[in-house]
Amino acid sequence: MDDQAKILKYLVSVEKLAEEIINDKQEIIMIDKRRNQNREALRDLTKSGQTKCWVTVGSVLIKHNVDSAKTLLETDQMQLNIDINKLRSNLKIKVNDLRDLEIQPPVPGLMLVPMSKKETQGLSSAGLIPR
Amino acid sequence: MASLAAAQVQEVRSITRIERIGAHSHIRGLGLDDALEPRAISQGMVGQKMARKAAGVILQMIREGKIAGRAVLLAGQPGTGKTAIAMGLAQALGPDTPFTSMAGSEIYSLEMSKTEALTQAIRKSIGIRIKEESEIIEGEVVEVVVERAAGGGGARSGRLTLKTSDMETNYDMGAKMIDSLLKEKVQAGDVITIDKATGKINKLGRSFARARDYDATGQQARFVQCPEGELQKRKEVVHTVTLHEVDVINSRTHGFLALFSGDTGEIKSEIREQINGKVAEWREEGKAEMIPGVLFIDEAHMLDIECFSFLNRALESETAPVVIMATNRGITRIRGTNYKSPHGIPLDLLDRMIIVPTTPYSHQELREILNIRCEEEDCQMSSDALTVLTRVATETSLRYAIQLVTTASLVARRRRAAEVSMEDVKKVYSLFLDEHRSEQFLKEYQDEFMFNDGSGVENKKYQLLD
Repeated sequence: MDDQAKILKYLVSVEKLAEEIINDKQEIIMIDKRRNQNREALRDLTKSGQTKCWVTVGSVLIKHNVDSAKTLLETDQMQLNIDINKLRSNLKIKVNDLRDLEIQPPVPGLMLVPMSKKETQGLSSAGLIPR
Repeated sequence: MASLAAAQVQEVRSITRIERIGAHSHIRGLGLDDALEPRAISQGMVGQKMARKAAGVILQMIREGKIAGRAVLLAGQPGTGKTAIAMGLAQALGPDTPFTSMAGSEIYSLEMSKTEALTQAIRKSIGIRIKEESEIIEGEVVEVVVERAAGGGGARSGRLTLKTSDMETNYDMGAKMIDSLLKEKVQAGDVITIDKATGKINKLGRSFARARDYDATGQQARFVQCPEGELQKRKEVVHTVTLHEVDVINSRTHGFLALFSGDTGEIKSEIREQINGKVAEWREEGKAEMIPGVLFIDEAHMLDIECFSFLNRALESETAPVVIMATNRGITRIRGTNYKSPHGIPLDLLDRMIIVPTTPYSHQELREILNIRCEEEDCQMSSDALTVLTRVATETSLRYAIQLVTTASLVARRRRAAEVSMEDVKKVYSLFLDEHRSEQFLKEYQDEFMFNDGSGVENKKYQLLD
């Protein structure tokens, strides 16, 4: 019975982690959708040239002038960017944890700090990495 | 009309790669199960269980990085599978781990000194893993709308609508973006990626959903699935380069050409120091990972005493690969000295090595190996012929019997038979002599050969002493 309980616990932990990973991926998609909608809204606001606009907050419509609406959208964008970056780094850690649980080797190079732009350019012009 | 159509069909030829069948091309791995126990016949390896099990243990240690800077020696009589085990190890390690294979006599070259050749071989077996990252927008094009401003030649404005299976959005484009889109001839239904940093547009292909738009597509048409997930992705690409490549590229102006031609010459030690320093710096910042690989030196008895001393020292450094040596010599003279030593390797290096012995194959194992070689060389053999061949292998050597496989199949093909029979094997046995019969022949007729000095040649058999 003890063995069975252990196996059950192990399976539960694996499935929980997998569920978290799938949820995180869905969240990233949602945040990206919002990001794109914000971006489209910003574009429209700059192009339209109006002075006042209507902003929907929940189920309430508020009239704003365009500048404050733009600052609102821009702060929202920044927050969304931070959220997405956080989610992505957590996702990497979770994927490696899952692979540890499933006794698979971790994805090679996932935890590496990426090279800067200049270094990548130097390496690819030297012919070390394909470009 | 029908003959014309038939001629057109002839034009469609697939270009196949000419595959070279080498002596060890049938080896796909070590043939171990999950508990690292060797199966009798698996992945091209037959028998030799103890040596394969030892190789499995070494494989695990390499994977866990616990054996860097250690040396392994595969010792056994000729034809007992030493090179085969090394090949199996290389396949089992996978493409991620650098595996350099060389013969002992390759270090003797006029262009560079022996220590330089060894240093290059060692640095070819150490890899570094680096990662580059970029933000890209990947999606299927729904529509591209370009408006020319009134008055011709004015600023153009455009709108690009991209979608993935989960979302859709549109982008306003500036003049430069419109230009690159038109240059790439992006249409609705294409799957593209746009690099956010450089603005480069890359066409991946056409979406499957739009495959029916046209009745006929050109040869270049590639169909890919509509991408899923978010539009703005982070793309990470992991590269593995060996330290040798980095050395060569830094050592002269057109370094990358030298990599291809192999004409690297001597590389200054200051450059190597600089590169070691840079790699250490990257490792501290977390930008690079060191992957110690495997350096396989076959015929290790051909190395001389200077090389052995160099190896002693080189194995002590903290970034050393695993060195696997193979030799079939018994107690022989070390090259460069007059001293005899087991396997032709000095005792202090032998002391640092893990020695894996290989034993000669049994009759049944020889039969299995010959069977596998017949399959690899695409030749059908009757079981009588196989029995005769196995007897030949037991009496002469395994390599000679493997040579007979292809020759016998050619003889059989000449008489238009589907499979090789006993007569074919007997015929090639009489046509091609093995080492022993050749020696007999020579003893009888040596007077009639050129440059014969009349003295008999002693028969040196390279047996291992117990």
